[in-house]
Amino acid sequence: MPKRRGFLRRGRQSEEMALQITSMADIFMILLVFLLKGYSTSVVNINPTQGLMLPEAHAAEQSVEALKVEIAIDSVLVEGMPITMLKNYKFDPTDRIANGTLKSLAPKFELERKRQFMIAKQNSDVKVDPRIMIIADHRVPYSTIKAVLASAAIHGYTDFKLATVRGE
Amino acid sequence: MSVSMMEPGGAGSGKRHGPGSQDFDLNLAPIIDCFVVLIAFVLASAAFLSIGILDAGIAAAGAASTSNSTPPPINIVVELKKSHQMEVKVTGKMNRTIPIAATKDAWNYEALTQQLAGLKSSFPAVSAATLQADDAVEYREVVQSMEVVRKTLPAVLLGGF
Repeated sequence: MPKRRGFLRRGRQSEEMALQITSMADIFMILLVFLLKGYSTSVVNINPTQGLMLPEAHAAEQSVEALKVEIAIDSVLVEGMPITMLKNYKFDPTDRIANGTLKSLAPKFELERKRQFMIAKQNSDVKVDPRIMIIADHRVPYSTIKAVLASAAIHGYTDFKLATVRGE
Repeated sequence: MSVSMMEPGGAGSGKRHGPGSQDFDLNLAPIIDCFVVLIAFVLASAAFLSIGILDAGIAAAGAASTSNSTPPPINIVVELKKSHQMEVKVTGKMNRTIPIAATKDAWNYEALTQQLAGLKSSFPAVSAATLQADDAVEYREVVQSMEVVRKTLPAVLLGGF
């Protein structure tokens, strides 16, 4: 019985206790403001595929809107759509044409270009955009990059933008 | 009407202190709930890596041509070879090939910068260079070299195709 009395006494005291959460609300408010301030509001969204590691560059500019070509470990994606497969970062030798361009990428680039021309024809405010953004893994050999750039250039995409991770 | 938020014994309860009292405490618990959920979402969707863009096409060349309408007196091509060797090929008013040997199995960027700075001082109108690389050279090394060249010549184009 004495134990029970002690328990009741403690219960009566705890009725008066409350957590002081005003300071916590202040901290959360400041945290939220800082997070929202640093939050990227850019229209351009680059989401590299899993395992893709971009090269590091210090003097890089802001990202721009352009046709996105991603060269991952085992595939090449145009606007997020897988177009051709790679073996150890390299194209299949049968995929190459004599001028260094690729058979597999040509139809996709042609389609994107035609789409741009059609839009530009309908709307005089829109101009045909020669920009192409290369989002490539840092281990990709230059032969693969060269083949993609050559295929893009032949279809009018001559303004190459290389996506990099900004260093310190 | 006085509002008390700091007074202990009421935060979160929202109850009045007495029948005649106008003192009351704001109920902050729902606000805290909202903050926790918002912060969790913002943190989950935040991009902690900043992505930048390097110009390597006609934009780089265009920048060079707009600054001076006359064609450059020399064309500079920097070639990255196997086993970290480099070559600076100069054509135009001067025809020269400058080999740059590797240092301790690495690219000798210091020597490259020196050579480019020498060319730039001889021909101040030059502001562009073309970068080429052997097939086996990794993209990371190409980007690194681009950055080194850009320090002296701001317009760097990728070539070799």
